[in-house]
Amino acid sequence: MKTAHKSALWRRSGTAYLFLLPWLIGFFGLTLGPMLGSFYLSLTKYNLLNAPVWLGFDNYRHIFTADEYFYKSLTVTFKYVLFSVPLKMAFALLVAVVLNKGIRALGIYRTVYYIPSLLGGSVAIAIVWRQIFDGEGLINHFLSWFGIEGPAWIAHPSYILSTIVTLSVWQFGSAMVIFLAGIKQIPADLYEAAQVDGAGKLRQFGKITLPMLSPVIFFNLVMGIINSFQVFTPGYVIGDGRGGPVNSTLFYTLYLYLKGFSFFDMGYAAALAWIMLIIIGLFTSIVFVTSRFWVFYGDGKDGR
Amino acid sequence: MRKILGLTLAAMLLAATTACSGGNNGKPATGSSDTAEPSVDQVELRIMWWGDQKRADKTNEALRKFEEKYPNIKVVGEFAPNSGYFDKLNTQLASGTAPDVFFLGGNVTDYADKGVLLDLQPYVGKELDLTDMDQTMVEYGTLGGKLVHISAGANARGMVINTELFKKAGMDIPADGWSWEDYARISKEISEKLGKGYYGTYNFTVEGMDIYMKQRGKQVYDMEKDALGFEQQDAEDWFNYWNDMSKNGGMVTPSLQVSNPPGDTSKSLVVTGKVAMSLIPSNQFAAHQNLIQDTLTMVQVPRGPKGTGVVFESSQGLSGYAKTEHPKEVATLMNYWINDPDAAQILGSDRGVPVTSKMRDLLMKDATPLEQTVYDFTSRVSEATKKEPFSISYNPPSFTEFTKLAETAVQEIGFEQKDVKQGVEDFYKGATQIFGSK
Repeated sequence: MKTAHKSALWRRSGTAYLFLLPWLIGFFGLTLGPMLGSFYLSLTKYNLLNAPVWLGFDNYRHIFTADEYFYKSLTVTFKYVLFSVPLKMAFALLVAVVLNKGIRALGIYRTVYYIPSLLGGSVAIAIVWRQIFDGEGLINHFLSWFGIEGPAWIAHPSYILSTIVTLSVWQFGSAMVIFLAGIKQIPADLYEAAQVDGAGKLRQFGKITLPMLSPVIFFNLVMGIINSFQVFTPGYVIGDGRGGPVNSTLFYTLYLYLKGFSFFDMGYAAALAWIMLIIIGLFTSIVFVTSRFWVFYGDGKDGR
Repeated sequence: MRKILGLTLAAMLLAATTACSGGNNGKPATGSSDTAEPSVDQVELRIMWWGDQKRADKTNEALRKFEEKYPNIKVVGEFAPNSGYFDKLNTQLASGTAPDVFFLGGNVTDYADKGVLLDLQPYVGKELDLTDMDQTMVEYGTLGGKLVHISAGANARGMVINTELFKKAGMDIPADGWSWEDYARISKEISEKLGKGYYGTYNFTVEGMDIYMKQRGKQVYDMEKDALGFEQQDAEDWFNYWNDMSKNGGMVTPSLQVSNPPGDTSKSLVVTGKVAMSLIPSNQFAAHQNLIQDTLTMVQVPRGPKGTGVVFESSQGLSGYAKTEHPKEVATLMNYWINDPDAAQILGSDRGVPVTSKMRDLLMKDATPLEQTVYDFTSRVSEATKKEPFSISYNPPSFTEFTKLAETAVQEIGFEQKDVKQGVEDFYKGATQIFGSK
């Protein structure tokens, strides 16, 4: 009797593990080794070309006590995350709500809006972005019709970050598709009941859509945070690839890359990578911990 | 069901094993047929360089010619644009998959220090003939007592001048022997005369810093002492010079300098005819001239107290990978590069003027007017350095880090986030740290 129960359980979770298998193989076979390797390197002085020399925690000490660029790059990255994540989510949610209003040829719109998030991380799009926001680019050309002389969006340290944030907001597609699926899951009778009670659209959105959607928002928020912290391509391509002008595009990952591959200090770069991992982990767990106060699971499992 | 599965599995296993044995049988067979012939083993070399498509086309053509002459050597070429080249090379070196031959510039010291370059001394006089090569170039490639670098061309930095803009402004084209004061005055004047959207000069605080220091009898980095070779005051004077120029007019604005960097010929404002003067290495002259209708010319750098500070020196060259399996063939390829007339004809002076006298004479014989401008210029520089000699210089170690620091300082001042004094103070402190931490 006991064994039967056990095998039934195993069969259920076994299936899950079977589906997880490709990831597990990837993690243990490909990711875990390099991760441990990088932890070892983070404790050494390693110039890429000669054997690493043991340092202990000197790299970490130097990062926290004497590295101006570390704090600079953290600031830039935090700024980026702070603006891009909420903006992107708000935009995605807005478009999802609009698309949910029964537009014809929904499939086409969904696809069209999704395309940017497939292309967004690519170098080609970053280059297009450069052209659009160039001092003599499309945007400034457009502004000149109204007699406004736009600044050099991609060349001035005060504006370039906002240009990059725009690029990330433009890639709202994948978040939007998930929102849209979430909205479609919300039972229509809730809205009907609300309508009967005389609730307006705005109120319905606040009292039904948002709470019912909170698990999806939670998911998108976590993914958004993790992805945004790792921003690299736009900084590398739209900026000058060295963090300029005036370190305004010196994203954390870009700094890490420069340290490792251009400045021959891979041990230091590995230490930076581990600090990034901890930062991302910290933020993700903050979201997880607070989630119990704002995420509502309709299946009655909330309050676990 | 289970039976079918077993059968297919068995079939797959069988297929796999036969495929394996097929492969095993195949390899020794071809190998033995090769050794049966009198010719030497087939060897494959990889070579990597940086630059644009035009350079890549020429280089590939030269490599095909090489394969014709040495049928037992196959050469696979790879290239990357300037910006990503060294990152790519470093990654390959770190993973032990670097090409057998690769190009390096003034940063050759960085690599020589780390012992990843092949010592070519054993092949000199055999595969590698250096009898015709300029002695200074051989010395340039000898680091730590080992010959690790074969220069592929020499150049000298100088001012590229758009003669058409000077004509339009009704001004005389500058001549050798001018001073930095002249340079600032002329920049201002020409941009005022040509009006909005035209500039006298790019800001080359970073690119010209070593020249300025040499003109004062100092240097950016003192290799023997392994320390900075200038005082904070020197840097402050130089940064102030450019800051005044920015205030008085005549210089490209900081934002334009970022969006249209002078080093990128696809975006350079020199090429679009908006900037009248800038600092370039002479081998880049053709790349600029080919993209613009206006006639360009080259003039020596403005003088300081001790002269121009510019030397006719190696622009870039070939190094071998210490772990290459075919060092002899590497030497053969390098020899072809510097001594073979066909190679010289195909490659031209894209990487600089040839470093062997015979090849140089060969190219000068039927030089186009464009190339003639460059040869004229470089010979003027050579003449000048006879009277006012300057030592050649390598990039300091950690040069990329130093450049980034200097560029940041220039931009901080340009975008008015710091004044010159503060900017230079931080720059000098940072530079001391970079060179001290080696």
